[in-house]
Amino acid sequence: MDLELAMQSFLQESAELLEQMESILLDAEADSITAEQLGALFRSMHTIKGSAGLFGLDEIVHFTHQAENLLDQLRDGHLQLDAELSGVLLRSHDHVKAQLAAVAAGQPIAPGEQDNILADIAALLPPADMPPPSAEAYASSSEPATDSEWLLSLRFGPDVLRNGMDPASFVRYLATLGQIQAIASCCSSLPADDSFDAERNYLRLEVQFCGAVDGEQLASVFAFACEGSQFIISPRTELASHLQQALQAGDAAEQQSCRDIWQQWGLWQPLADSAPLPTASVAADSLPTVATTADSKARNSESRFIKVEAGKLDSLINLVGELVIAGAATNLLARSHGNSPLLESTVVMAGLIEQIRSHTLAMRMVPIGETFSRFPRVVRDVGHELGKSIKLEISGAETELDKSMVDKLADPLTHLVRNAIDHGIEDVQQRRAAGKPEQGHVWLNAYHESGSVVIEVADDGGGLDPQRILAKAIQRGIISSDAMLGEQDIYRLIFAAGFSTAERISNLSGRGVGLDVVQKNIETLRGTVEIDSEIGLGTTFRLRLPLTLAIIDGFLVEVGSSTFVIPLETVVECMELPARPGCTDMPERLQLRGEILPLLYLRQFLELDGQAGRRQNVVVIQTGASRVGLVVDALQGEFQTVIKPLGSLFRHLKAISGSTILGNGAVALILDVLALIQHATQQEAGRYTLEQDPYQPAGNRQPHNNDMSSGK
Amino acid sequence: MTKPAEPEQYLSFQLGADVFACNILQVKEILEYHRLTSVPQMPAFVHGVMNLRGTVVPVIDLALRCGRPASAILRRSCIVILEAGHEAPRQYIGMLVDAVHEVISLCADDILPAPAFGNHLRPDFIAGVSHWQQRYILLLHMDKVLSIEEMASLSSPPAVQIKAESACLMS
Repeated sequence: MDLELAMQSFLQESAELLEQMESILLDAEADSITAEQLGALFRSMHTIKGSAGLFGLDEIVHFTHQAENLLDQLRDGHLQLDAELSGVLLRSHDHVKAQLAAVAAGQPIAPGEQDNILADIAALLPPADMPPPSAEAYASSSEPATDSEWLLSLRFGPDVLRNGMDPASFVRYLATLGQIQAIASCCSSLPADDSFDAERNYLRLEVQFCGAVDGEQLASVFAFACEGSQFIISPRTELASHLQQALQAGDAAEQQSCRDIWQQWGLWQPLADSAPLPTASVAADSLPTVATTADSKARNSESRFIKVEAGKLDSLINLVGELVIAGAATNLLARSHGNSPLLESTVVMAGLIEQIRSHTLAMRMVPIGETFSRFPRVVRDVGHELGKSIKLEISGAETELDKSMVDKLADPLTHLVRNAIDHGIEDVQQRRAAGKPEQGHVWLNAYHESGSVVIEVADDGGGLDPQRILAKAIQRGIISSDAMLGEQDIYRLIFAAGFSTAERISNLSGRGVGLDVVQKNIETLRGTVEIDSEIGLGTTFRLRLPLTLAIIDGFLVEVGSSTFVIPLETVVECMELPARPGCTDMPERLQLRGEILPLLYLRQFLELDGQAGRRQNVVVIQTGASRVGLVVDALQGEFQTVIKPLGSLFRHLKAISGSTILGNGAVALILDVLALIQHATQQEAGRYTLEQDPYQPAGNRQPHNNDMSSGK
Repeated sequence: MTKPAEPEQYLSFQLGADVFACNILQVKEILEYHRLTSVPQMPAFVHGVMNLRGTVVPVIDLALRCGRPASAILRRSCIVILEAGHEAPRQYIGMLVDAVHEVISLCADDILPAPAFGNHLRPDFIAGVSHWQQRYILLLHMDKVLSIEEMASLSSPPAVQIKAESACLMS
């Protein structure tokens, strides 16, 4: 087994476990924690400890062991989860994360934080504890801290090797808990012939062990190999029942070889001189089976996801795209030959291909909830630091977004959320004075709108004060004092680099770096940021992002020989352009049920060649509040499509947001409806300004006049 | 200097009456011409975009890009796909040529500097000139000819574009 690979999967698995742990801890703050959740917490620490042990990461084993002890106390009800305890656990979580990061980077980790946390954990643990590793103290156990002798029959299941576990490592770990007095292997099931399977485990072990542990601790050593395996663990004092149990488990050959081993050890005599059983030890017997069921349940839920490299998925999507085109070509061929059985089978195939395609495309999409899930923690930490009580409400977490976008959204969103808490939400006193509930609210919301994804970060804080922003901007020299700005333009000033209205500089924000970075990040994703604000009521930052590489439902239209895709969400209705007898010029607007609709002729606007046919069609599109009729030659209907980016050569194109490949293999361009309308509006506005002011440079009537300087 | 340089291979192709060549290492593949999707609001030398096995690839009309009259699409018209740019995700770009001839081997000694004028081409596009079977061949500097940076900036606002095109024609 490749150790490097194993290490990678260990790091990944641990990261997932830590994430799970964090979310449970944060949930538990709001509600009371359930036994199931406590079990999950314990398991995550325990699994990390076990796996770290396999790699010889002693630092992590040592630390997680302590955290596990703490969790164990919690699970047994000796401690109650309160704010202090969950704080310590969260810090432990952070520390393990840092340790793992250090392992991944191959660097040593600074010891300072670890000692602090360990001291805190020690303070929380009941004082009767012994120093590690014999830290467990069981009230129910008759011999709490002295060495006790144990008998272990370890029947590792046939699949443990395949599951990536090495029985030897368990033995090694066992040796750290105490002393292995005797160990013998029993390989009676090992086949001598060709049926030997190198990946199958045939090893069974009999162990005599001595250490300051209890039954549960021993059981937990093997807890994560217990699927398909059988571990019989009994105190030495229960020799008879142990031997009997162990003998029941195996087949005849195994029984015989076990007997031989025990005989050698002097344990097995017909009806051994077993001492009476003075202690309560029923728990130890039933424990392994309990652990098995709990663990296998957890494992089932884990295996619902498969990790796939993104590049593999991309090439699969490309191949399926080719398949769709090839399928369409076959269908055309069958049609031209008039072979109806063949035609029928190609239609069936086309249906299947279409299903494969939509499934593969959906694989790249991930719910944004993955990103949102980190925010309860951010809100909690920032809130604590600032002494504000904040409630975070998340909605639309199931909104799907391309994986690559999701990754790039995390940083800007974190910035906005921190800003909302620090600048947006007022102090408790101010809130009380304003008659608002003391607890501040931050909302995170995501939804699809008009072919884009909208993410809102809202707060119920003080809102933005346009006058203050204006004053500050003038003071900082961002704008001149006589500038006339609309409300939106004023809000936009807070995105300027070096702008901050915070009176004092806090640890978190107020230094004026941040919002400009947010805007830059969003712009690289080809998105926009809008701000809504009401003084005294709160502020909403609205990020509007395109679905690059996402699937959109498109509406195909034809102009001359070109085909264009209009995002279906923007299409309101379609109709024929009413013919006006005796009138040859093109109408500039259309009266639609009492509403006046401006018409945009796609052929003229995009300077396409060809002559308009006798019958033209109008596609009514809506973005935000504005409705426009697009005049096209023909309508071809709906089409689900993958957006293919056009590449940097076309980055100045405003009205085209991307391209897609049609069923016949041709490329169609996707219209950016919002930009199209803006472009048309500005062009017209510019044209008439130009007539009034003949000295204005010609480039200014274009919306992208900023590019002039970089143009040449 | 003691050892004669290994001959390098070039792909020669026809553009109007002239024969050009480019280094074969950049050439990805050669495709028969089929109808492309034209992209509005782009300068004329951007002939359109095509579907190259699921990737959308821009195709440049090399004649227009070199300041000559546009290529007529004929039976032997071809699209040569090249790798453009040096940055990490390499971009494919197609160029439309009138015909593709053959792969030729040229040593460094065979390649001469271009004459000072009379090439009907922007000087920075020319990597050198050579002779091959009594024909005069212009070797193109493809990184310059198909520079995405420059072409993208040319396709920005119309005012700049006209200026750039006239500058291109003048030189």
